[in-house]
Amino acid sequence: MTFWKGDPFMAIDRKRAIEDLAQIKMKGNTDGLMPAMGVLIQFLPVSFWNSFSEKMLKAGGSLYCRTVEKGLERAAHECGYHTGYGIVNSDEFNAVVGPMIEKVPEDVLHGAYAVFTAWGWADAEIVELVPQERMVVRAYGYYEAEIRDTFPVRRPCAYMIQGVSAAFMDIAYGGPYPEGLYKYKCRQTKGIEVGDPYGEFVVVPA
Amino acid sequence: MTAPCKFDQVFDAERKLQYVNGEASVMHCHHYATIFTKLALDTPHLNGPENLFEAMEETAYLTLRKYFLVESISSPADRQAIASQYFALCGLGLVSLEIDENGGRASMRHSHVDEGWLKKWGPRRKPVNLMGQGYLAGAMSAIFDQPVGTYRVKETRSIVSGAEASELAIQRR
Repeated sequence: MTFWKGDPFMAIDRKRAIEDLAQIKMKGNTDGLMPAMGVLIQFLPVSFWNSFSEKMLKAGGSLYCRTVEKGLERAAHECGYHTGYGIVNSDEFNAVVGPMIEKVPEDVLHGAYAVFTAWGWADAEIVELVPQERMVVRAYGYYEAEIRDTFPVRRPCAYMIQGVSAAFMDIAYGGPYPEGLYKYKCRQTKGIEVGDPYGEFVVVPA
Repeated sequence: MTAPCKFDQVFDAERKLQYVNGEASVMHCHHYATIFTKLALDTPHLNGPENLFEAMEETAYLTLRKYFLVESISSPADRQAIASQYFALCGLGLVSLEIDENGGRASMRHSHVDEGWLKKWGPRRKPVNLMGQGYLAGAMSAIFDQPVGTYRVKETRSIVSGAEASELAIQRR
């Protein structure tokens, strides 16, 4: 069954899930670490991540551009897979999104994008989902787009959203964790950073 | 003694962004940080290590400088305490500093990057904590009202290499 944005049978109350999940507070413990959801987390200004990406893209030029892009996408893909798995199995997710879930894994995927939005990664939602085959995500705002203010962007470069979106499909349809990594790939077809009104991300089997 | 470092996390429901102390911020995991680090270490021909160091140096400088201004913190001792606390609050680790405006040393009993690297790939002979080194350089500039780029940081012992604590030497360039 295909899901389209606005589907009246959608079980996840996205607005409520975002409001509730956004209230979860995170900070380092007495060891200066943030262990949660099976990983170590840090909570840093977005300017740091954007600055490194920009410096690397500048240094890479046309010759090494793909090396840099693959590295940045890989970071997000593995981050999204491991942290995403931890998130959808966490007490916090189960408390907020769990009661709304009717269909697994599709509703879990929608819930994961509520987390994605609530934690400031991107204001992103699924607009089309064909189970196991294809997912289209739109992002109406995301910090990676700020690179356009200081870097002449030639093509979409929201590598974090690309990687995490592929990872979320890995979690949903890639098979038992942790064997499902890199079963899906993502292509960014639109980007705010190149003048489009939103970012669009199409995920299909790798 | 100044008040403990603030770490006020607020969600902007309009922009869908998380802010910490008024600055747009985002949570990522050790997989993200260590693969960024590996990308930097694997690309010396693109100045990868310098790029990661400098990205964090600039971020730490701007973040701490703004904090010191907003909270009216002027003494180096108080600023040093805030810099260490902020490092811990944002999950980068536990650092103690013995510094003056000419440099000094830092000891890290915990390090997000080192411990993340160990979890992901195991031990490594050479240091990996470019983010921690950059943070210290930026913090030094903010604490002592120096321009970004004033300090260099060299890691002499590393948790990732088996040391109980990472040790870092800080010098003026």
